[in-house]
Amino acid sequence: MKKSLLAALAAATALGCLPAAAEDLITSDRVGPSDAPKKMVFRMTGDGPSSTDPTWAAGYSKLYTDFINNHPGWQLELQMMTGDISQEQARMLEQAKAGHAPDCAAVDSFVLPLFKQAGVLKSLSPYFTKEEIDQLFPFVRDGVTGKDGQVYAWWWSTDLRVLYRNTEIVPNEPATWDDTKAAGLQSVEAGMEGILFNGSRYEGTAFDWLGNFWGQGGKLVDDAGKPIFADAANRDKFIKAVNYYRDLVESGAAPKRVTTIGSYDDLNAAAVAGTTALFVGGNWQYRQLQNSMDPDEFAKWSFSMLPGITADQRSTGTGGWTVAAFSSEPEKVEMCAALAREIYMGPANALQEQLPTRADLYDKYDVFKSEANQTFAKALKVGQARPGVLIYPEISNQIQIMMGKVLTGAAATDAAVDDAYKAALDAYARL
Amino acid sequence: MSARAVSSRLPFIGAAGRHNRVPSPYPWLMPVILVMGLFYLYPVIDVFRYAFTDLTLLGGEGHYTLSTFANVLTRPELVQIVWVTFIFTAGSVVGQQLIGLAMALVVVRAEKRHLFGTTILRTTALIAWVVPGIAGGIIWKMLFNEAPFGGLNSLLRVLGMAPVQWLSDPDVVMWSVVLSNIWRGTAFSMVVMYAALKAIDPSLYEAAEVDGANGRQKLFFVTLPQLRPAILVNMILITIQTLNTFDAIISLTGGGPGRATEVLSLYTFNVVFRNYDLAAGSVLSILMLVISLGLALVYASFLPKDEKA
Repeated sequence: MKKSLLAALAAATALGCLPAAAEDLITSDRVGPSDAPKKMVFRMTGDGPSSTDPTWAAGYSKLYTDFINNHPGWQLELQMMTGDISQEQARMLEQAKAGHAPDCAAVDSFVLPLFKQAGVLKSLSPYFTKEEIDQLFPFVRDGVTGKDGQVYAWWWSTDLRVLYRNTEIVPNEPATWDDTKAAGLQSVEAGMEGILFNGSRYEGTAFDWLGNFWGQGGKLVDDAGKPIFADAANRDKFIKAVNYYRDLVESGAAPKRVTTIGSYDDLNAAAVAGTTALFVGGNWQYRQLQNSMDPDEFAKWSFSMLPGITADQRSTGTGGWTVAAFSSEPEKVEMCAALAREIYMGPANALQEQLPTRADLYDKYDVFKSEANQTFAKALKVGQARPGVLIYPEISNQIQIMMGKVLTGAAATDAAVDDAYKAALDAYARL
Repeated sequence: MSARAVSSRLPFIGAAGRHNRVPSPYPWLMPVILVMGLFYLYPVIDVFRYAFTDLTLLGGEGHYTLSTFANVLTRPELVQIVWVTFIFTAGSVVGQQLIGLAMALVVVRAEKRHLFGTTILRTTALIAWVVPGIAGGIIWKMLFNEAPFGGLNSLLRVLGMAPVQWLSDPDVVMWSVVLSNIWRGTAFSMVVMYAALKAIDPSLYEAAEVDGANGRQKLFFVTLPQLRPAILVNMILITIQTLNTFDAIISLTGGGPGRATEVLSLYTFNVVFRNYDLAAGSVLSILMLVISLGLALVYASFLPKDEKA
């Protein structure tokens, strides 16, 4: 009896040791050994081992494994954000103000000014060289730098909006708004539903459209951050850009259902289903289309810069993601900076073909030498980031509301624009 | 059991107990008061406090002021948002109540006749109820999708009918949202009505039959009067629930196009989490509380007096 008890005890001990020996370094919510003495909480988007794209998930798993092997004694606790980025970022800002933020997190570049203003971010300047910071595109460097000259986040990827087209139906690049309308109508004649774009209550609606306003030289805010998008100097440009979209819908070049589109996935779905030949999307969708379509079908697709009111008045919105540190422990801030450097600043760009924010990385990685990525890089030259001001989210909100009213014909363009401007000014007065 | 025996078992009575006085209820109530105060009352008090400030989520100390009330309650969009909320709430409450009652009547009648399928019907309805609001919104978004491959429009095309602009037509979209909310909330009303129907004294129906009442007369003169308290209580509950609904709408329409489906709860959410205006959001929360309490009082005034007691 005693022998069998001892044997059972030994077996149980051996079995108990096995999981520890064979423990996975990566689980859905942890990277590194679970008993590692030091832990950093990282709140992240899908740009990680849990990516829905199997290739990217595998690539990130390797990057994270290499990273944690380079930092023995550490484990990362991974917290995933939902797809509602605005809400996630607002919640994280509130948590940060209450002192409950994660140690390190992905912060959307367009809300970074809010985090800087709230004073909840820790400086990453000591962990990046001056040469690395100087290599950042100017709009990126300005975005991450605080009033005190410190770098408060590492902006590792950027993106831009382009016009995708099925060259079988729309062979030539639409360079102007008139060309786009003609191409949309041409695709409708071919049995398609016309040009598609985000048009619902969604940040993408405002951001994808803003290039039409910026291309004419329009400005959203003045140097003090006050909305000026419909003042005497800008109102006409703003209204022209809104009427461009209105005309697309009213002429039938775009379906009315654009007012229900609030996801780039909807645009991919229509392209893959073969119901559209023309849509305004992000550069990252190029790879998604390639992964979703048969090679023969994908070969028909191309993209070009967003059209302008004239061919030489073109612009596009540029966004992207940053990594920022909230922890009050310098060791964790350093770890956060290492994470940004070793995983995201370069390797993740190459893995996902997300455009780097450093000019030198375009030469370092072969993927960015492809014709498509060279074209994206060229379009970046006319790119414009959303203004890094506190009022921007409300300006975007008002543009989304205004766009819904105008595209459904519920309001005249002038009146809707004036309402949006007044609401933005009222909100600015309350900040 | 004698009074002395009872008092000997009560630990907090002491001298008072020995003189047969009523024991103090506070020791027993304190846990409840503490929990209610900490988790329910304190946040409400905080909302009232925030409403009298200019606090934002962006930092800063904030100052006490009445200007937030004046600013929020005079916003031009508020009238439209309250109207949209009224349509959404009224449509949802009436729909959920009527369909829930109809389903409960069918289930009770079918049970009496031992028909097959009553459990399946109840379970199917309850599945819709337990689906989270966000998921429900996504399900209906797929159904209402106006793309050529959209769910309901594909069905309409098969039937030779013209597609409907479920979500892009400002005059139709609200009814699409109401439909999705009725789908989600009807099961709750069905359960309440089912329980109330089961509690009706069968002798009332026997007496009605003796008097020669037909089915319709039994419904209007026996069933509905007997269900009145349950209907009113149910309407209070589903009205408050509907007023607070925003998750299903945010995933279905986001409040658009424009502000066509932006109800008060969604507007409040947007003000706090997209405009970062904590004080304005608090004022809107108080407005929602006032509307909910007002409607509850209106419903309660129709309750039979003995039920109120």
